[in-house]
Amino acid sequence: MKCPEQVYDYMHEYLDDEISEEHEKLLREHLQSCSDCQDYFRELNKAIALVQSTSHIQAPDDFTSRVMAGLPKEKKKTEIKR
Amino acid sequence: METIVKHRIKQVIKGDQNAYGEIVEVYKDKVFQLCYRMLGNRHEAEDIAQEAFIRAYININSFNQNLKFSTWLYRIATNLCIDRIRKKKPDYFLDAEVPGTEGLTMYSQVPSETPLPEDEVESIELHDTIQKEISKLPDKYRSVIVLKYIEELSLNEISEILDLPLGTVKTRIHRGREALRQQLRHV
Repeated sequence: MKCPEQVYDYMHEYLDDEISEEHEKLLREHLQSCSDCQDYFRELNKAIALVQSTSHIQAPDDFTSRVMAGLPKEKKKTEIKR
Repeated sequence: METIVKHRIKQVIKGDQNAYGEIVEVYKDKVFQLCYRMLGNRHEAEDIAQEAFIRAYININSFNQNLKFSTWLYRIATNLCIDRIRKKKPDYFLDAEVPGTEGLTMYSQVPSETPLPEDEVESIELHDTIQKEISKLPDKYRSVIVLKYIEELSLNEISEILDLPLGTVKTRIHRGREALRQQLRHV
C-alpha cells in the first residue's frame, strides 16, 4: 500500500506541536492501519530521544577566567567597529 | 535572569569589565554545549565558545538592549561554529579522534585505573555514537537540530538566532530529523 504523502507532513507537524485536531485524527487513523508508517514514526521519535539523551556537558572550570583574560584591556573611547 | 543580565550589560557598556564575568558565568555552559554539539570536539568548542564571548564583549554597543541577550549571543556562537565547520577539512571531525593517536577519543582519556561500570561504558559509547551522527549532518541541519533538541529553544527563537524565516527553520528541522532517523534507527 502506498501511503499518502501528507502522512509524513502530519508526523512533522505533530513533532513540532503544531498539528491540528483534524490532521492528528488522520495521522492516528493511518498509523493504526499501517505498520510501515508506525515504524517510521517510531524511528523519528527514537532519533529525537537519542539526541536529547546526550548528557549535558559543562564548560571547563577556568572558562570564565580565560574569557576575561582574553578581553581587550580597556574599553577604548572610540567604539571598536567590526 | 534576563533582568540581571540587562543590568550587567548596562554596567559593561559603562566600562565595568568585571560585570561581564557574571554574564559569562550565566551563559558559559549553554554556549559551550552549543559549540561542542556543533563541532564535536571539546578543544574546538572551548576556543569558539571563548571567541563568541569575546566578540560579544567587543560588539556590546551594537547589541539592541530590547532583545534577549541570549539570542544575540547564540547567533554569534552559531555563526562562528558554522565558519569553523566550513573552513576545516570535510572529514576532520567525522570521528573525534585525538590527533596523532590511534583510536583514542576524548572518552578514552577518562582515567583507566578505575574500570567503568558496564552500563556507564555503554552509555558513553552511545553518546559518542550519537555525537558522531550529529556531526555528520550538514551544518544547516545540524544548527537547527542542536538549537531545538539540545538547547531546547522555540522555533521562533531559532529563526531569530539564525536570521532565517520560520518556514525555512521548520523545513530544516524536518530534514534534519529525517536524516537522524535514518542514521540512528539501528542504534
